[in-house]
Amino acid sequence: MSDVVASLTWLEECFEKNINLAEPNWLREFRAHELKKFVQRGFPTRREELWKYTDTSHLAKKNYCGPTLIDGSPDIDKLSSPSQIKFVFINGIFSETLSDIAKLPKEVTLLSLRQVINDHVDLTKPYLTREFDEKKFPFASLNLVLMTDGVFLKIEKNYEMTTPIHCLFINTKQQNFVSCPRNIILAGDNSSVTLIEEYVGDQAENYFVSALTMIEVNNGAYVEYFKIQDEAASATHIANVFVEQQQDSKVKAHFFSRGGALEREDLCVRQNAKGAEAQLNGFYSLHSDEQHVDHHVHVDHLVPHGISSMIYKGILDKKSHAVFNGKVFVHQDAQQINAHQENHNLLLSNSAEVNTKPELEIYADDVKCTHGATIGQLDNESLFYLRSRGIEESEARKILVHAFSDQIFNTITNREIRDYVQQRVSSHDEL
Amino acid sequence: MLEIKNLHASIQDEKQKTKQILRGIDLVVKPGEVHAIMGPNGSGKSTFANVLAGRDEYQVTAGDVLLNGKDLLTLEPEQRAAAGLFLAFQYPVEIPGVNNMYFLRSALNSIRKQHNLPPLDAMDFLTLVKAKMKEVGMDEKFLSRAVNEGFSGGEKKRNEVLQMLMLEPRLAILDETDSGLDIDALQAVAKGVNSLRSPNRSFIVVTHYQRLLDYIIPDVVHVMLKGKIIKSGGKELALELEAKGYSWLEKEAQA
Repeated sequence: MSDVVASLTWLEECFEKNINLAEPNWLREFRAHELKKFVQRGFPTRREELWKYTDTSHLAKKNYCGPTLIDGSPDIDKLSSPSQIKFVFINGIFSETLSDIAKLPKEVTLLSLRQVINDHVDLTKPYLTREFDEKKFPFASLNLVLMTDGVFLKIEKNYEMTTPIHCLFINTKQQNFVSCPRNIILAGDNSSVTLIEEYVGDQAENYFVSALTMIEVNNGAYVEYFKIQDEAASATHIANVFVEQQQDSKVKAHFFSRGGALEREDLCVRQNAKGAEAQLNGFYSLHSDEQHVDHHVHVDHLVPHGISSMIYKGILDKKSHAVFNGKVFVHQDAQQINAHQENHNLLLSNSAEVNTKPELEIYADDVKCTHGATIGQLDNESLFYLRSRGIEESEARKILVHAFSDQIFNTITNREIRDYVQQRVSSHDEL
Repeated sequence: MLEIKNLHASIQDEKQKTKQILRGIDLVVKPGEVHAIMGPNGSGKSTFANVLAGRDEYQVTAGDVLLNGKDLLTLEPEQRAAAGLFLAFQYPVEIPGVNNMYFLRSALNSIRKQHNLPPLDAMDFLTLVKAKMKEVGMDEKFLSRAVNEGFSGGEKKRNEVLQMLMLEPRLAILDETDSGLDIDALQAVAKGVNSLRSPNRSFIVVTHYQRLLDYIIPDVVHVMLKGKIIKSGGKELALELEAKGYSWLEKEAQA
């Protein structure tokens, strides 16, 4: 234990130097408390069940520093957007010049977290002081300790926000830094919003992002959430997304994993009131050796009359490794639940590896829950059929790979976003 | 058109044991001819059709196949298609997620590309495919379905003939295209084939039954047994087989 604590000096240094946050005392104290919690606990190792296939112990030995403000813009291509409202962060710090919020209606509040802490700190207090179980979610603590900035988004009740909001986190022109965005999304009663949270790497190496996003979907509200991870090939990306659902609310979440050396996503959805519906989709496309993606998805049905579905699909090439752990937890009083989960994997090489575990834990007796998982290769019969019609082998493979992934892309109803995501996720496909 | 000499082919079974299936096939199909290949189950008819199309589970252990002077056996399946070969499958595979129209267009344009022709644009393609669908009696709704997914047996076979009409091969091999068809579908398939018949296009029709040959009149009928063609004749041979079965030929072959 002592050597773990000793080797976390970079973390303590980053905490001390943290970015001139003009924070109130309570926040400073709470962050110090979280630091202590994290240091005592240490980075998770593979000895822990929840981290059985994903090793993060090496992060303790790194020597990360905090982000610095970068002059100049990243490649313009990285700034493209399917939306007119764009909220841009460079190395985790909000960039007003690269953002565009001119089209924001008055019913929608969109601010950088740093700005909120400066001007309306009380708004954020319940979201910044929420305690997470550090055994399960150690990186939720780490995120607060090193928090630099983030998104604060609030939709007034009854307002339907039709323009998507694109939050773009570009990591660029710095090496070995750690960035910890904390995002707070609040959808008021009967409101609706579409949010894209995207991470892109550009001329940056060996950096570490530990993100945390809290989404509150209040009574009758609808949130469509996109997470796109296209970090630099040597980056580590660890994220927690906590969704709280109230009565008759609906959330549709889409996760796309494309880049990075190591990605871990913990998505937790809690249905706190009747009539909630959650549709959770994921797609990972791994094309390099040693690339590792781990999706842990947890749905808690706490009350009766809830619906949830999880459909995660992945394509793995070379020596890449994917982990899927989906868990649906139906509590004792949660009758009349309809839950479904599936995970399908397509292996394009003999050395790729998948560990998949769809789990159901049910304590109610009147529920409908299904689950399934598959791991397979491209179907030779189909391949031969296409080729026998004159389609070249590489093209035939592409067609079959797309057929596999289209099930996920087709769940995106917004045409611009679908095209954007498809292009982002498959532009560098090497088949 | 097609010249086959002494073709031998084998397959590895589940126990990795080599099983010889084709044991020396000689066949010459001239331009414009229709050849029927008949024979009992397990005689090697389907293997023969699949070997010509280039299915890689089969190993060609001896022999030569020339299609219009080209050495067919050295070509990839897609190159064989571009060279004018078409196999209508006995069991067309279902490909979920691949749109039938997208598939047909990719196939046609891939072959055009291999002939250095520009791709057909969406409008021209649509006009063409709709006309051909009418010929085989297929509803246009099948264009928006996934390839063969949930198609009935007859719909699958019509889809095969539709592909044949679109790709206009020089040599079409129909592998038991008649099996499992009702009489309407059978006539639609035959109509499609007959509309393609021309002096520079040939057909090999693999079938169990004489029935199909009432609609597609063959020039030559061959009987395949144990991986060899043991008898060839005119269309009346098919009628004789229908009446007498194959056992007399088996005895003849042993004698």
